[in-house]
Amino acid sequence: MTPFSLFLLSGLLLAIGLFGIVARRNVISLFFGLELILNSANVLLVGFSKLHGNYYGELFVFFVLAVAAAEAAVGLAIVVAIYRMKRSINTEDFRTLRW
Amino acid sequence: MKEILFYLFGVISAVLALLSVTSKNVIKGGVALLGSFISLGAVYFTVGAEFVGIIQVIVYGGAIIVLYLFALLTMDVKKIAEEKVRGSSAAAGAFLSILLMILLLLEASKIAGKVKPAVSGAKELALPLFFKYLLPFEIVSILLLVATIGAVAIARREE
Repeated sequence: MTPFSLFLLSGLLLAIGLFGIVARRNVISLFFGLELILNSANVLLVGFSKLHGNYYGELFVFFVLAVAAAEAAVGLAIVVAIYRMKRSINTEDFRTLRW
Repeated sequence: MKEILFYLFGVISAVLALLSVTSKNVIKGGVALLGSFISLGAVYFTVGAEFVGIIQVIVYGGAIIVLYLFALLTMDVKKIAEEKVRGSSAAAGAFLSILLMILLLLEASKIAGKVKPAVSGAKELALPLFFKYLLPFEIVSILLLVATIGAVAIARREE
């Protein structure tokens, strides 16, 4: 198997996640795009680990997973707190800090 | 055989990912993202990273997506679905993402070599994780503790 197929999968996931972050306006869809970008990094780490024949890339996947879980927990807590205040999760309604 | 399975699950994963960021209904998007992550776990299995595939299904499918769906339970999904997507921002997103992907793949196509699908289970990964990378491992556990306390403190109702 050539490594390019893994790079292609990773690039596709990165492009889809970036598209979701730029195009969508609700916070949950932004988080979905963020998770996709983290997963594209994971695919690349596993691919390089298999390309070089050692396990260090796969170990980094665990650290990425832990950071993704922490990010999801704290981010969702912030979103729930804002939703309680504004009754909306559309990013265009979050303008309290805008000058 | 493994290569056919790799392409099959890779295509399923990419299509479901596209569905998850484009669907109007956020619940449907979350379930599509769950399917995308589980087929990504299958992709890890086809290249031999078995332990990573298992952890991917447990953590992403079982924990993170369920967390998103539980948070959506407290919100009004019909109102979220009324979100208007601007054509200009969708065009900018498509342009940026396709440009970035083409640039990355142009560079990546120069990397030669062959992927060796050697099986790496828990035993092979445990040795470097608990000896060479012990300090990052412990720091990550503290990060998870801090994130748990922070999430509870932020989402708590003020008296």
